[in-house]
Amino acid sequence: MIVRWLVILAAVLALARGASAADVVVWHAWMGAEEAGLVAAAQRFEAGGGGRVSLVAVPFGVFDAKIETAIPRGNGPDVVIAGHGGLGKWARMGLFEPVDDLVIAPQMPVAEEAMRWEGARYGVPLAYKTLVLLYDPAQVAAPPKTTDELVALARSLAGDGRYGLAYEAGAAFYHAPFMHGFGAAMWQDGALSRLDTPAHAGALGLSARLAALGPTRPSSERIGQLYREGKAAMVISGPWFVADLGRPIAAAPLPIVSETGQPARPYLTVDGAYVTRGPNTDAARAFVSFLAGEASAIVRRDVGGQAVTTLGVSADDPVRTALAAQAAVAVPMPSDPKALMAWEPLNKALRQTQRGAASPEGAAAEAQAWLELLTRPPPEPASPTPYLMLVGVLGLLAVGRVAQRLSSVELRGQIAAHRADYLWVAPAALAVLVLVVAPFLVGATVSLFAHYEGSWTFVGLRHFADIVLSRDWPITSPMSFPFTLAVTVLWTITNVFLHVTIGVALALVLREPWVRLRAVWRVLLIVPWAVPSYITALIWRTMFDAQYGAINAVLSLVLGHPVELDWFARFSTAFAANLVTNTWLGFPFMMVIALGAMQSIPRELEEAALIDGAGYFTRLRHVLWPLLRPAMLPAVVLGSVWTFNMFNVIYLVSGGEPDGATEILISEAWRWAFSRGNRYGYAAAYAVVIFGVLFVYSRFTNRLLGKRVL
Amino acid sequence: MAGIQLRSVEKRYGDTWVLRGIDVSIADGEYVVLVGPSGCGKSTLLRSIAGLNDITGGAIHIGARDVTRVSPRDRNVAMVFQSYALYPHMTVRENLAFPLKIRKDPPAAIQAAVAEVAGMLELGALLDRLPGQLSGGQRQRVAMGRAIVRRPDVFLFDEPLSNLDAALRHHMRVELKRLHRRLGATVVHVTHDQVEALTLADRILVLHQGVVQQVGPPRELFDAPANTFVATFLGSPAMNLLPGRVDDAGLSVGGVALGWVDGVGKAVRGDVTVGLRPTDVVAAAPSSAAGASPWVGAVDVTESLGAEALLHVEIGPHKLVVQVPEPSPWRAGAQVQVVPRRVHVFDPGSGRRL
Repeated sequence: MIVRWLVILAAVLALARGASAADVVVWHAWMGAEEAGLVAAAQRFEAGGGGRVSLVAVPFGVFDAKIETAIPRGNGPDVVIAGHGGLGKWARMGLFEPVDDLVIAPQMPVAEEAMRWEGARYGVPLAYKTLVLLYDPAQVAAPPKTTDELVALARSLAGDGRYGLAYEAGAAFYHAPFMHGFGAAMWQDGALSRLDTPAHAGALGLSARLAALGPTRPSSERIGQLYREGKAAMVISGPWFVADLGRPIAAAPLPIVSETGQPARPYLTVDGAYVTRGPNTDAARAFVSFLAGEASAIVRRDVGGQAVTTLGVSADDPVRTALAAQAAVAVPMPSDPKALMAWEPLNKALRQTQRGAASPEGAAAEAQAWLELLTRPPPEPASPTPYLMLVGVLGLLAVGRVAQRLSSVELRGQIAAHRADYLWVAPAALAVLVLVVAPFLVGATVSLFAHYEGSWTFVGLRHFADIVLSRDWPITSPMSFPFTLAVTVLWTITNVFLHVTIGVALALVLREPWVRLRAVWRVLLIVPWAVPSYITALIWRTMFDAQYGAINAVLSLVLGHPVELDWFARFSTAFAANLVTNTWLGFPFMMVIALGAMQSIPRELEEAALIDGAGYFTRLRHVLWPLLRPAMLPAVVLGSVWTFNMFNVIYLVSGGEPDGATEILISEAWRWAFSRGNRYGYAAAYAVVIFGVLFVYSRFTNRLLGKRVL
Repeated sequence: MAGIQLRSVEKRYGDTWVLRGIDVSIADGEYVVLVGPSGCGKSTLLRSIAGLNDITGGAIHIGARDVTRVSPRDRNVAMVFQSYALYPHMTVRENLAFPLKIRKDPPAAIQAAVAEVAGMLELGALLDRLPGQLSGGQRQRVAMGRAIVRRPDVFLFDEPLSNLDAALRHHMRVELKRLHRRLGATVVHVTHDQVEALTLADRILVLHQGVVQQVGPPRELFDAPANTFVATFLGSPAMNLLPGRVDDAGLSVGGVALGWVDGVGKAVRGDVTVGLRPTDVVAAAPSSAAGASPWVGAVDVTESLGAEALLHVEIGPHKLVVQVPEPSPWRAGAQVQVVPRRVHVFDPGSGRRL
């Protein structure tokens, strides 16, 4: 029987391999019309006898990680279709085959340029994307030519819940056109530019003025909704905004910056097709060459609605015409991974100026300082000798200790006598070893190395010294470890206090005899716990929206005047928003524990106290709470560890705003690992510090728990 | 100290009556025991006096005060629970001091009161222990102490002895009696144990299905039970009940004429229920002239209780339990002459005493 199944399995595997060997496997992240255009193009290729193509749509969010892990292991596709922003990193990783000799239809020069890295051509350009000024032809007769006109027109169209201009002003990508229009840059001639120039300050000032015309920190969905409802006359966005809009829309190039007379120049990204290193190169080259050709370009334009890079395939609708005009002055997005370092400082400066926390000059200066910190050269390598010696000595001591213990006949006898028991425990022990101990040791080891642009340097305990002593920031800066630790501790204490107070209070109410429909209440109150925390966090994030959030709506109703509190502009309110969200998530657990514990406390004890003359709160304090405490303490310990590391709420609700002040240790570690140039070593040191703090805490609470036997 | 007046107290849940028409006056310093079978409402009545239950009708007075709507904490009563309800996280000392601490007595006074009660109940050596470290009897004494220390107007005991073993229960019964004499307190004591009721009570209140059956001193209830329920509930072994008839010649049972036995009223005529305590009967050999009774039956089963034995005698269709001193000569199957010394006569319809 088993043999038969094995034979079938082998046959299926062989078939699968055979199929994949003949196809050109393509991974892409296009969706909707763009994907349909790609499918249609691939069908043309197959119909023309080009061999079979298998298209795999990979979710955008995991696209980079997928190709970066799959291709080096030989499980990747033959062709990757992706924006050129990551090209530098991928070329350096050796994921793609250079295609200098591949002859393709002539393309826009800027697109051809985007496909190059360090002198070699790595892919063929297919389509480009850039920002343009989109407007509602019903409200805007002629698009503004200059930024001054834009401001004046937007003002004249605003009012009564309508906005003249709405765009994602807080993101540097949307600021880039004006930055370039002011003559400033993030990246020039293969190096990061200074961010503290007067031109940058001027651009920040303009962005702040433009941001003030629209809603506070709107999401892209919100902007789309506003436009559909006719409440946003002008929008700065790209071709993706136009799809499925259900309302007429017109486009024009972005206006000329009035201060300099230069055009606003957005970034341009080019989606290219890249041939990966692998056995199927010839078929892959044939396919990408076809994709870049005229026939494919027309299909992709007509079916996929793309702005294609192939010369000679003209833009045939007003939006694509505007895109083409805009592309003529656009700046290709830098594809060097070093360029990524400028985004966070610039984002921060943007948000600071837009909420009035800093002058454009001050914010620019701060951004420059922040950039210098992120891009300073890696620390000097430390000599690993003392560390190796220490590890050696500790290892020897451990071996000696084990040997000494094992030399005891008694212990050896015990082990022999319980051999079966050890075998029973072994699977669990192995799991703990693989899933807990090994990652921890790897993490601890990583924390001793600095990771800079793909290379690792041994730096010893330097990261720990930098973090704990806060060498790079004054301790009052939100970036400093003591500040973040203080916020984390405050966060944990306030949360757990509220969870326990509300949880126990609800449990007390739920057992009162006058409560009707008790079971229904109990289930309803557990619901917040049953919903995945990131969904809850996203819902609360929307509820705290300044203009459209339910919280401000309720406040307006209660206070009798419109409230447009920007919850994430100040530490106190941003912290409160996080706190409310996590309290909503956290109280049901404490309530369930308290309800369970109360069941085991005899009613007669409270009756006895009542007859003894104790009032409600005296009974709570002297009888109920002391008996509840043994059950609540472990829950409090658990709850505080969860809260201490509650990444979801911080990341999704406040996102660290304002300026990282509401970050906690775990979210700060995440930022170092994934949004500040992959400083894995520094992030690992953060993780080890978090472990240390929680370890000390759990030792302390263990002692606390052990003290009172009940 | 104060007396208790229960005036037409009633309690019901929807259509289910738990207590009805309870009208009882308990004197200052009196020890009253509430007895009755499980579910008769005795605990409900006690909890109503404590204020732990609301009553649906009537009024409760403690001393001169109407406490019907007063919170338990302001009634100045003390209660000992069947489970003792000691605070498990407090030492014996803290348990004893708790009611005084709440009342905000000065620390010195609390200390003195605790010391006095600890001395009275021999708890001195246990003061620093937690309830979990005490035996059942010790916990019972602590519970008692916590009630005493407050000097309440009324003590309410809810089956305080039922969790103790037989020997300890007897010991504590005596202790309770001594304590009552010493404190002179008003006590309402709930039990389902008739021995406890008979030995402790100044007056017993028998409850059945939420209705008071009889209130009176133990002797009175034993000697003159108001109805068949009280008659069979009190006394061990229970009273025998047999159908009988009274005519001009006196009492006859199952056609056997017994004459004017003690306890049969001269004015009674007609069908009756005859109550005969096993202790009020003498058993003799059928031929002997001891009582010259015409009532003869066969011994079915014998039970020895040590000092005495119980004979289960069959006389015609009726069964009768007779108590005889040990060593008893009767064996199963033997013929026995039954001589009633004293009987109780009840109305066969209502069960009321005639």
